[in-house]
Amino acid sequence: MSTAQTRVAMPRPWSAETQRPARNKVLRGIIKHAVLICFLLIMLYPLLWMVGASFRPGNQTFAGLGIFSDTYTAQNYADGWSVGNLNFSRYFVNSAIITVGAILGNLVACSLTAYAFARLEFRFKGVLFGLVIATMLLPQHVTLIPKYIIFNQMGWVNTYLPLVVPHWFAVDAFFVFLMVQFIRTLPKSLDESARIDGCGHWGIFWRIVLPMSLPAIGTTAMFTFVAAWNDLLGPLLYLPRSDLWTVSLGLNSFLDQTGQSTYGTLFAMATLSLAPIVGFFIASQRLLVEGIATTGLK
Amino acid sequence: MNRFSRRTTVLGVGVLTGVLLTTSGCLNGGGGAAQVSDGQGEVGGNIQIAWWGGESRNAKTNAVVEMFTEANPGVTTETQSADYAQYFNRLNVQAASQSLPCVVQMQDRQVNDYTKRQTLMPLDEMVASGAIDTSQIPPAVLDGGRGSDGKLYFIPYGIAWDALVVNTTLAEETDAGAPPEEWDWPTFVEYLRTAQKGLPEGKYAAPAGGQLQNTFYAWAVAHGIEVFNAEGKLGFTEAQLKEFWTMWLELQEEGVSLPPDMAAEEPPGADQGYLATGTTMVGALPGNALYVASQTLEGTDSGGELVSRRYPDGPAGIGNILVASGFGIAANCDNVPTSAAFIDFFTNDLEAGVGFAADNGAPTNTAVLEALTGSDSELPELKRAELEQYEAIVADNPPKVNYPPGFNAVFQQSFQRNYNEAAFGRQSVDDAVATFFAETNASLG
Repeated sequence: MSTAQTRVAMPRPWSAETQRPARNKVLRGIIKHAVLICFLLIMLYPLLWMVGASFRPGNQTFAGLGIFSDTYTAQNYADGWSVGNLNFSRYFVNSAIITVGAILGNLVACSLTAYAFARLEFRFKGVLFGLVIATMLLPQHVTLIPKYIIFNQMGWVNTYLPLVVPHWFAVDAFFVFLMVQFIRTLPKSLDESARIDGCGHWGIFWRIVLPMSLPAIGTTAMFTFVAAWNDLLGPLLYLPRSDLWTVSLGLNSFLDQTGQSTYGTLFAMATLSLAPIVGFFIASQRLLVEGIATTGLK
Repeated sequence: MNRFSRRTTVLGVGVLTGVLLTTSGCLNGGGGAAQVSDGQGEVGGNIQIAWWGGESRNAKTNAVVEMFTEANPGVTTETQSADYAQYFNRLNVQAASQSLPCVVQMQDRQVNDYTKRQTLMPLDEMVASGAIDTSQIPPAVLDGGRGSDGKLYFIPYGIAWDALVVNTTLAEETDAGAPPEEWDWPTFVEYLRTAQKGLPEGKYAAPAGGQLQNTFYAWAVAHGIEVFNAEGKLGFTEAQLKEFWTMWLELQEEGVSLPPDMAAEEPPGADQGYLATGTTMVGALPGNALYVASQTLEGTDSGGELVSRRYPDGPAGIGNILVASGFGIAANCDNVPTSAAFIDFFTNDLEAGVGFAADNGAPTNTAVLEALTGSDSELPELKRAELEQYEAIVADNPPKVNYPPGFNAVFQQSFQRNYNEAAFGRQSVDDAVATFFAETNASLG
């Protein structure tokens, strides 16, 4: 017993570990990356399954949970692309027009609004900023019907305008908040230097604040892109004419709860519709991460 | 005026303008009270036509619309479509803003939500004046287009019905064998129990029927139970619902029907559900989904053949009910004669009906139905079998269920959720039934 007690009392042989730090570091790295890759695969599995299913024949789409199949076909892509009287490229063009319009609108309007809230002093600034932020608490369904009535009365149904124009009036309070937070982190001494050099508010905004706000601008552009590209309800209400359909409406047309859905073509076109989002994300990833890290949103 | 008051005034004017715009939109959007028309007049000008469906139905409907405009040269059309759920999302917003398309597709499960708010025009006078011909539609089928006030609000052109679809390949591997042509509820339940004994591990004889509202309707009408009463409230008793749910809970405990966790994960749609993928032997599907479910089953490793059977009969007779879909006219429509002419064309034109190929249920027009089931029909064999089943059901004069306003908002969700509360063992059947009654009756009518 005394021997056992002595063994228990002895210090652990830490020296063995400290003698091979490099090897353990590599091992830890391998294990860490293996675990991360496993989690990545689990997270990506639905996406990979969708891509796999898009290459299966139509009646084998739901054949199993596996990604791979005995037979592969590109027919879903051909059928999906040439759907209906138009083809799917039309939906991509429509989505692109709306998305670009929404991004430009948000960038211009939200950055100007944010500059005003972050740098200008005016009466009721705090109250107005509070009101802007409060609109984030308002569910979109509350304003859905009033907005539809207004746009319908204005003759804007079956035009892109209801989906683009509001973005030019800084209605996305989240982006205003994001940019305000970012601009507040910029040193005011730069503004003062510019003012000494003769810049007014527009000059300070255009020459100083905007170039330094690229991470926030990138983040706003990315989030706006995803929201506008994936939006279904807006185009559903305002673009009922099929030649104005967006990608999301085009994808919805492959579904028929009361008849025959064509999931193979749906998955094929869904795979293609992800490409612009992934591409935009890759292009703006650095700005996005920096923007999120520096605006207090993390 | 100082800066403060000037800014306050500008702010006030802005808010007021917004309110006025919204108010004027509410007031001037179209007809408030449902107007009445005999549908007679010049057929011309523009109409908007809206329906639900996917790409396949869009192509067929657009073809019929083209035939209509060719037959009526002065007419132009604007069409809009979306999947069923999205279609009604849009229609609700359009109805709230009184800007519905002139011709709207409607279903008997939805119609009273719209008639209650007078957003649809009664069509009785159009039928009486001959603007819309319904002589080829059986009266019991035409009644599917009536609201709870007895007025005709849409002309059914397609009928869906629920059927029990059986995987005979699986069934014939068991002692149950192929299903009989007709059965009653005790025979049906015994058939399931016998089949389960011979099914391989992981296969189930039946779906979780207790959570399926259509299965409940079938059981209720076969037992002579009124599903909704004249006041638009639940017409059955708590004891009756308890009896139905207990029957399915017993089957679940015996392992005959799907366990609740699997049932909760079942993908929606007849072409991807457990019957189509070979997990269950019997499925409760729309009768016109036999063809699409068969196509999916063919693509699975096990394959298999599906046949469709009627719901079990009961003491009160047939257990099947019909679900009617058709076109109605919005109360805010400013081109009623052309809208009526389109509905008449879509429902009665033989060439249009054959071209539409029963895409949204069996054609209500008997001439179109005969053409599609005739020996020279180009429809696939399974599709023709679906239509023949419909003919047999209609011949037995199936009862009509009047779905009250509020039905869509509450009934299905509450029915499914409360059954599952019992199926997962979180509530007793008595409590689940009581909760369902309290929730549903509060919102119906």
